[in-house]
Amino acid sequence: MSRNPLEFSLSSRMIKPNRWLNQDWLVLFLVISLVSFGLMMIYSASGSMEMVLRQGIFAVIGIVFMIYLSFSNYQRLLPIYLNVFWIGIFFLLVVLVIPSDAATRRWIDLGIFGFQPSELMRCVLTISAAAFLSRNPRIVFRDWIIVIGVSFFSFYLVFIQPDLGTAIMVLISGILPVLISGFPVSYQIIGIIIILLSTPFIWMNLLDYQKQRVLTFFDPGSDPLGTGWNIIQSQIAVGSGSLFGKGFLQGTQSQLNFIPESHTDFIFAVVAEEFGLFGVLGLFLVYLLLTFRLVMIAKNSNFLFVKLVAGSFIFLLLTYVAFNTAMVVGILPVVGMPLPFLSQGGTALIINMIMIGIILSFRKAA
Amino acid sequence: MKKFFSGKRDSESRKLVLYLILPIFIMFVVLLQTINLTVINGKKYETQSENNRIVSRTIYPTRGLIYDTEDKLLVENIASSQLNLIPERSTDTLKKIKEIADLLNLEKSFLLDIYERQIKKPRYPFQPITLAKSLNDEQIALFSVSSEKYKGFSVETGLVRSVVNKKSLAHVLGYMGYSESNDENKSSNFISGNQIGISGIEKTYHDQLSGKVGTRIEEKDVSGKFVRVLSENNAESGKDLKLSIDLDLQNFLIPFFEGQKGALVALEPKSGLIKAMISSPAYDPNIFNSSSSLAEIQSIFNDDQGPLFNRATMGNYPPASTIKPILGLAALDEGIVDWNTIIQDDGEFYVEGDPRPYRGWKEDGHGKVDLEKAIVESSDVYFYSTAYDLTIKKLESFLKKFGFGGKTNIDAEESNGLVPNEKWKLGYIGEFWFKGDSINLGIGQGYMLSTPIQISQSIAVIANRGEIIKPRLVEEIDESPTELKSLGKINLKDETNWEKIEKSMIEVINSPNGTANNIKDSRYVIAGKTGTAQIKSYEDQEYEDIRENPFFRDHALFVGYAPIPNPELLILVIIENGESGSRVAAPIAKAGFDYYLTKNE
Repeated sequence: MSRNPLEFSLSSRMIKPNRWLNQDWLVLFLVISLVSFGLMMIYSASGSMEMVLRQGIFAVIGIVFMIYLSFSNYQRLLPIYLNVFWIGIFFLLVVLVIPSDAATRRWIDLGIFGFQPSELMRCVLTISAAAFLSRNPRIVFRDWIIVIGVSFFSFYLVFIQPDLGTAIMVLISGILPVLISGFPVSYQIIGIIIILLSTPFIWMNLLDYQKQRVLTFFDPGSDPLGTGWNIIQSQIAVGSGSLFGKGFLQGTQSQLNFIPESHTDFIFAVVAEEFGLFGVLGLFLVYLLLTFRLVMIAKNSNFLFVKLVAGSFIFLLLTYVAFNTAMVVGILPVVGMPLPFLSQGGTALIINMIMIGIILSFRKAA
Repeated sequence: MKKFFSGKRDSESRKLVLYLILPIFIMFVVLLQTINLTVINGKKYETQSENNRIVSRTIYPTRGLIYDTEDKLLVENIASSQLNLIPERSTDTLKKIKEIADLLNLEKSFLLDIYERQIKKPRYPFQPITLAKSLNDEQIALFSVSSEKYKGFSVETGLVRSVVNKKSLAHVLGYMGYSESNDENKSSNFISGNQIGISGIEKTYHDQLSGKVGTRIEEKDVSGKFVRVLSENNAESGKDLKLSIDLDLQNFLIPFFEGQKGALVALEPKSGLIKAMISSPAYDPNIFNSSSSLAEIQSIFNDDQGPLFNRATMGNYPPASTIKPILGLAALDEGIVDWNTIIQDDGEFYVEGDPRPYRGWKEDGHGKVDLEKAIVESSDVYFYSTAYDLTIKKLESFLKKFGFGGKTNIDAEESNGLVPNEKWKLGYIGEFWFKGDSINLGIGQGYMLSTPIQISQSIAVIANRGEIIKPRLVEEIDESPTELKSLGKINLKDETNWEKIEKSMIEVINSPNGTANNIKDSRYVIAGKTGTAQIKSYEDQEYEDIRENPFFRDHALFVGYAPIPNPELLILVIIENGESGSRVAAPIAKAGFDYYLTKNE
């Protein structure tokens, strides 16, 4: 079989479907490319081969999960998907009760690596919500309220860790299936009003450093050596990268540690500094191409469950990209949100790849 | 599980794409912002990123050391703790300087003065300014306790100039300081912050001593820690100097000047090498090199004895009778007199049509005087007469040939002295030249002024039989000898006159009537001439009244060289208000000859 498998998958309707050949190789290629590029960037940012190896191990685990799930039969897994959020809730509770001397309780220490339940939550909440909402041909209003209730509960569990950025993303991952499945517009408006009214309450419950981050966003120069430092230094990194960048491992801002968190939340600053405006453009095109392919998979399916899961996952993925990069270039406040596939962090990487694998399992078996 | 199946779901697909517009829009804005940062403000951020990481350091070369002729160390560089300030890192600097001055018990005005002077000068970015030197342990401790409050200030180790023998060679060596004018900064070797030589050898040989300033561009990381050297421009150490000064001779002669104002020049006539140079009173150059006390410095500046002033090269004195051998040669060369010409000296000289007498120093005169006797006994009347006959024109040209009224080209700061003429007098005094002015010139008085080095040089010309050798203080620069340089030769119509005039000068010491007979020595032969410079005109007063004021007393001079026939050393001594060349000045020179000529025996 010397023909291009991709071409084959489009033209071989007469042949008995072969799941292997039917694979969306482009999506796999794009994801693996992004992860590999991420490993390069982590090396550039940290200069630590050990960190690259650790992330590489997570990447391999993630790729195995992704490919395995992409061949799975999602319809058979639906009963599991419906209840999988309990696992998320369980771990979120575990992380809150296990004793820890750290100020924040985001991690479960598994010895060689840490596990971040909030990352798992934003994946399983969407899946369970979608499965719950599509279990009957018609959605009744009570279903939406239940999903919204569970979402806010999950949000609260992450919020008190505390991790505002991920908490918001967890909330969105639960609310999105509700919105996509046709939650009435009038109720959406009421919801927005309720959220706006509760803002002061949320503000009061923010920790000082969280408040400071939001305030600094509005005036980075006010405290150039304190919280504003991150934004100023990452803007310097991006700006000094110019059109083509300073070259791999040549970014002075990142190599000399002027960018804080350069291998995690601010890895985009390293990309921009070392590869310039065109590097940023290229990275965005890869994310958009990936999005486009995933949207096509969702669009070609007639199942509500597929639409809800794929729609939510794609939206979350792209929102992470948008918010993370917006934060790095200083147009949104600094909240802890990693750049998908690039930022160092094992749980997020594996979860993101699991999400891609699940979407891939939705592709039409011709 | 069939109930999960559902029909075609276009509305969900539309919603899905609709929601994606939000993140895509944000990404679009991110892209615009990236363009804004890179393309529109790229230059600004490039500069900021460079400023983040790059430190330019000035590497000051080690200043050359200075030795005496026997390789005794005269000036060295010693480590000292100094208070540095990097103005770029500091805010509210003036206030902080005042606080630190209080804290370290330093003088506020001194620190502020240095700061204000240095801040105006061109500097590399982040180049430190040294505000105070030679901090003691207590000051260092006091500063380090509260150093966090004073960003940009630091105590660092630096080198300061240290003169080993303090006062004894102050004027020869000079001192270091901050230049007053910005123009000097243009000199390629000089970058502000580094001190420059303000006087003496430190000034004259500043370029050789200072070497070349290097720069090193370093990369630092976010914590300010050194990462690597990006480029380096090596500093070149300054060259060491070996002076011709004989420290032993210098130190031997200095006590003679204790409590007196005056100057001494001792040089080797055939080479022009200066063996000793004294200007009294002196000062301690280390006060300028390293002190942080304005009061100490000001007390030197305000001392009316003028300790900073190098009398040996810059003091303007009437040469008085020490000029007589030169004028004798002039009169001989111009045919005014010969060795047999006799002039009657009755103690006074009159000009035709002028009833005013020109009195000689000896009231009754010296009787019948020929040129030799006129020099030996220092007859004023003889030289009144010859100067009168020579006229100012010839006097002036002859004196200038011997180096009066101009630079001797010694490697030190020197003044020109003054050989007056008609034009000068009209311009500066506003009067015509009187014959009396020429007559006064005959005994080295009147308007004429000369520096000790000029007088020494004029007599050295006699010792060298007309050869004018450039006087110099530096014998070797980095082990390579400086050149012996002839500045010309004076030719006499009768060259034997050199020897004859020298013989008269020998008789000044050897003849029982000689004015310096008191220093006669049986072991070696000295040729010399005394002088007593009148500094206050006393036409209507007697000297006995004038000398009541010690500042109006005559200066005592002696210049001589020994041993004849191969002179090794020429010594000139001036003691201000010392009154008698023979009794006060000549014995000092004699002591110098004794010491120097017997030193290596």
